[in-house]
Amino acid sequence: MLIEQFLREVTAIPGLTGSEQEVARYIADAFAPYADEVRIDSVQSVIARIRGDGPKVMFAAHLDEIGLMVSAIEEDGALRLGNVGGVDPRILPGMVVTVLGRQKLKGVIGAKAIHLLSPEDRQKNYKREDLYVDLGLPYDAVAENVHVGDLVQLEQRFVELKNKRFATKTADDRACVAIMYRAMQLLKGMRPTADLYFVATCQEEIGCYGAVTATYGVKPDFAVALDVCHAQTPDAPRSRTQELTSAALAMGPYLHPVVRKKMADIAERINVTVQTDLTRGSTSTDADEIAVSSGGVPTALLELPLKYMHTTVETFDLRTLEETARLLAQFAAEADASWEDELWT
Amino acid sequence: MDLKQLTDIDAISGNEGALRKAIMEAAKPLCDELYIDRSGNVIATKHGTDDRLPHVVFSAHMDEIGFLISGHTDDGLLRIMPVGGIDPRVAVSKWVRVGKDNIPGVIGAMAIHLQSPEDRQRVLGFDKLFIDIGAKDQKEAERLCPVGTYAAFDTPYTPFGDGFVVSKALDDRVGCFNLLRILEGKYAARVTCAFVTQEEVGLRGARGAGYSLQPDIAVVLEGTAANDVGDVPKRARVCEAGQGVCVSFMDGASMADRGLYKTMLSLATSEGIPHQVKRAVTGGNDAGAYQRAGMGARTVVLSVPCRYIHSGASVAKVSDIDAQFALSQAFLNNL
Repeated sequence: MLIEQFLREVTAIPGLTGSEQEVARYIADAFAPYADEVRIDSVQSVIARIRGDGPKVMFAAHLDEIGLMVSAIEEDGALRLGNVGGVDPRILPGMVVTVLGRQKLKGVIGAKAIHLLSPEDRQKNYKREDLYVDLGLPYDAVAENVHVGDLVQLEQRFVELKNKRFATKTADDRACVAIMYRAMQLLKGMRPTADLYFVATCQEEIGCYGAVTATYGVKPDFAVALDVCHAQTPDAPRSRTQELTSAALAMGPYLHPVVRKKMADIAERINVTVQTDLTRGSTSTDADEIAVSSGGVPTALLELPLKYMHTTVETFDLRTLEETARLLAQFAAEADASWEDELWT
Repeated sequence: MDLKQLTDIDAISGNEGALRKAIMEAAKPLCDELYIDRSGNVIATKHGTDDRLPHVVFSAHMDEIGFLISGHTDDGLLRIMPVGGIDPRVAVSKWVRVGKDNIPGVIGAMAIHLQSPEDRQRVLGFDKLFIDIGAKDQKEAERLCPVGTYAAFDTPYTPFGDGFVVSKALDDRVGCFNLLRILEGKYAARVTCAFVTQEEVGLRGARGAGYSLQPDIAVVLEGTAANDVGDVPKRARVCEAGQGVCVSFMDGASMADRGLYKTMLSLATSEGIPHQVKRAVTGGNDAGAYQRAGMGARTVVLSVPCRYIHSGASVAKVSDIDAQFALSQAFLNNL
């Protein structure tokens, strides 16, 4: 499957944190032709293996997505909302969402009308508690189909912008799942010796839980986590953002300098531009947990710059994605037992 | 033309050309006279059979709220200014179409992770909102979308719930849709349907139409703000979607002719057409222009309740749209 088609499909399938079955199944099926074995573990992480005799190397990108949850049903049928992951409430008014009730129902997120707001309240952003989903149904019909605790998926559109840039929800982090997918395709024509594990982890958005259990399941010698980082947008501090047009390699105490250096050296050799994303501690990605799971795993973090993270218009550059996949595949192909000797020198 | 086709066309105030063309084509086989007046309004008239009856003008506005491109950033984003009343809080993380070529764009905002607690409170004004079309730099952005290019919300017409639709521009494509339906009928009175420009920026097209048509009676078909869900107390509800066509006694721009207002309510009752009275003096529409254009006209406003009216995703109930049409037709048949 072409990478664009994979992205279009994988970003549309619901997989809110903790309810990832549907998207996990899709990813497992997509990975299968390029792997020797694929399994879905007990918490819904997808683990695809390309068998080899060398060291075990694990790649991880998370498959879960942020969204909303029904917290109450008003007498007029309006649904009140809770968070699943860090949804910015500013993106919600006027959004057409899908309520995953007994059936999938379309609804519009409404807010108190502006003429009912005090002048002070007009100067403030709506809070999640002020908003509701309007299903266009009376209370009885709502109560029949929707329960408190049902999940609400944000609006999905897969929009191609100029210069092979794409705007979609859940590019965080399925764009990085797509990088793994593309790298697995490229590895078909290469001769890796390492024992490779491509893991789409669950439950990252609430604390990287799937990465922990997958690491115990795989027990890798090295790992590379893949996640999105912030691309430059107006008002964002330059010190915390990267250019959209090339991958970033994170650097800092949570990440292993030698694994990182291997990646950087390979990038230079095959002419893939990488930026440096400096973090002084937590990276807020699966890398943090993988590095300290299962006795400790030397881990690097490879990042795809993304504009407008945690919105429905997360924007990335497909050429950057493809270059990052090329780098990842080369890294996988070169991973070697000799690296072990360099780790602590 | 159906309502979906009408909402699919972009017609920001001052840039109604594409919709004007489509309406001209749709109206042509349905009327006796058809022309574009000096304000860009489409004027479609059906001759009556009884010239003792008053000349009635039904009016709806073609234009919709949207954006103008006002500049470009170094990194290729488009600066925007709103056309018509848009609450900037509904623009974040939404989809737009820019210019004649319908270039897809998105309105992003700084990620929540990078926001300070004050940022989270602060409403992003239009000086802090940008359209991203993927241009790689300022030069490319300027070439593709020069200053003055129009941009529209891209919210596809989608039926949902129990007979509801969500779309951009229901205000006032519902009125345009019903004008075309009115033109399909046969009436004793002379009837003119005016599809007018520039309502959202100050009731401007209707001033020209009102002056040159000088109707005896002007009936304005509109969409008006409904606020009936989300735990709003009954007393605060202006009107309710699903409760029928909304008749105004007064709004922020005009005073209904008392006789017409009463006639509409009694006709709706006798014909069994679902209806309600607009219960607050809010908003304003082209009736204000008709009432005071030239030597003036008797006016009344029939509205379809629309939730989230000045956002990119307005919501209306089809049965209310039908009720607006039914009452318009009943009025013409009972002059």
